[in-house]
Amino acid sequence: MEEIIFGIGITALAGALATVAGAAEDVESDIGSQGDPNSQVQLAPQMGYIHRIFNKAIAGEPPAYGLWVALGAGLAWAFMAMQINPILAIVLGSALAVFVQGVYATTAYLGRTASLAKFGQPVYIDILKSMTTVTMAHAFVAIFATVAMCHLIISALGHPFPLPLLGLVWGIALGAAGSATGNPFYGKERQYQEQKFGAGVPISASGNIVRYAEAGQRNSLDNGFFSAKLGGPASGICFGLIVFFELWRTVVFEEFNIWGPIIVGVFVILVFAIIDRYIEVWARKNFGPYTAPEEASS
Amino acid sequence: MSVKIEVGAGGIPHNQILIYGLVGSVILIYLTYLNTYMQAPYFAFFGGLAAVVALIWGTDTIKHLCSYGLGTGVPSAGMIALGSGVIAALFGATTGIFAPIVTVIIAAIIGAVAGLMANAVVRMDIPVMVVSLIELAIVGAITVLGLAAMACGTFEFLGMITGQISILGFTITSYETSLIGGSIIAVIFMLGAIAIQHSFNACLGPGEQQDRTLMLAAECGFLSMIVVAIMSFAFIDRYAAIITLVISIIGWLYTYAKYIELSKRDAYAWLDAQPILEPKGGA
Repeated sequence: MEEIIFGIGITALAGALATVAGAAEDVESDIGSQGDPNSQVQLAPQMGYIHRIFNKAIAGEPPAYGLWVALGAGLAWAFMAMQINPILAIVLGSALAVFVQGVYATTAYLGRTASLAKFGQPVYIDILKSMTTVTMAHAFVAIFATVAMCHLIISALGHPFPLPLLGLVWGIALGAAGSATGNPFYGKERQYQEQKFGAGVPISASGNIVRYAEAGQRNSLDNGFFSAKLGGPASGICFGLIVFFELWRTVVFEEFNIWGPIIVGVFVILVFAIIDRYIEVWARKNFGPYTAPEEASS
Repeated sequence: MSVKIEVGAGGIPHNQILIYGLVGSVILIYLTYLNTYMQAPYFAFFGGLAAVVALIWGTDTIKHLCSYGLGTGVPSAGMIALGSGVIAALFGATTGIFAPIVTVIIAAIIGAVAGLMANAVVRMDIPVMVVSLIELAIVGAITVLGLAAMACGTFEFLGMITGQISILGFTITSYETSLIGGSIIAVIFMLGAIAIQHSFNACLGPGEQQDRTLMLAAECGFLSMIVVAIMSFAFIDRYAAIITLVISIIGWLYTYAKYIELSKRDAYAWLDAQPILEPKGGA
């Protein structure tokens, strides 16, 4: 019994770390226009909309975060093998992984923007300087929290995988959670405010992203503020719940039966599928497809 | 049948890069065998250089393959390359001195099967698919073998599965602290997979230039070398790891500076804190 209570405590802690990681990951990727909002940012100059949005495309989010977290975990593992204290090892590993992330981000922005020279999109060096550092800071939080979580899972819950492999698995999961949950907030609610709500993105509006702010011109830091409000917390809850339920079912139900966690896992998925379906139907009924206003207001 | 999109015409022909890449990287991997002769891992950095050469070649192959309208398929090409490559590299490593040659042959077979499946079963019908996937699998395999040889000083399997751990002053060998037992091979896999696809993914567009893309490929290779060199402190002699680290940092600094210079050359304008330049005639 005591072991289960200890396990649940670790599970809650891991879930909390995962929530922080998810939130930071989504803000980082939205500032860099990574993931699905990227296609429109990439397209905008080709349609004549020159912009000051950061555009760092390093694969999709899941493979990119698979690398950052696996790298952070691998370096931390190597430092621990050199008899360095685990906390220091995880901090150093994450910092070096963030260095790699920052270098990749700068080369991605320079490469893509230089290749769009034909459409008159200049390279804005101030964007590179101010936004790369912000994405690096967020990436550090995401990587550190995830590697720390993996270390907890191994050292406190006795997971048999080595740290780098667990880092790879959870890094891909982190990227997938941020990409699936957070990006729609940014892509559809922020980039396309020029379109009417619910109108979708017709081909004629492709690339017509929001480039000007209430005052002055918008850059990706403004998108960071927006993401930190909605998309980030949503991604955080998503990844936190994934980690929590994943560990909770094993910690609690493995005692009773070896098949217990698997049955509970299937049950949890079913419950979430029913909730998702209910929310979708409710939203469709209440907000519906876009229709023209019935009467012109004054 | 997909339509071929021309990207950045001109530059060095692909076949020339292929030959230099294949021969160069195999020779460089074999140079790490000097470690066994000298009984000291001071030549481990040749493995990393082999990976850099292979990545340059692989980037040109991806550019070739993805010019058939595979915009979002660029990262996937990197994944399949390293996925096929890691199997070939691990199998090849068990064959001792013949490891690099066997790795290349096995990788070619895996790549051919993957290419035939993609064209005949998935029906992607891209003319260069089979050849490109063979090349990519070989590149992936050499990258994994090269970086692994750099981390633990040898490309032989036994060296990859034995690590040392010191407990209370006694040094004992253990599987848990080895390259494969500690899953550092998973980190190498991801490093290679992102590095191989990043250059073309980052530089694609109508203004893509071969020299800039290939310079970025070399930069990605040296950057991967830096972190593998840091991890190699856990496996090999401290001085050997320092040599590897210094060589990778010098290589990275040079290629990174060169890449920024080339980007400056190709960019429409290079502005600092300037407003949006609306195109003439309006959007």
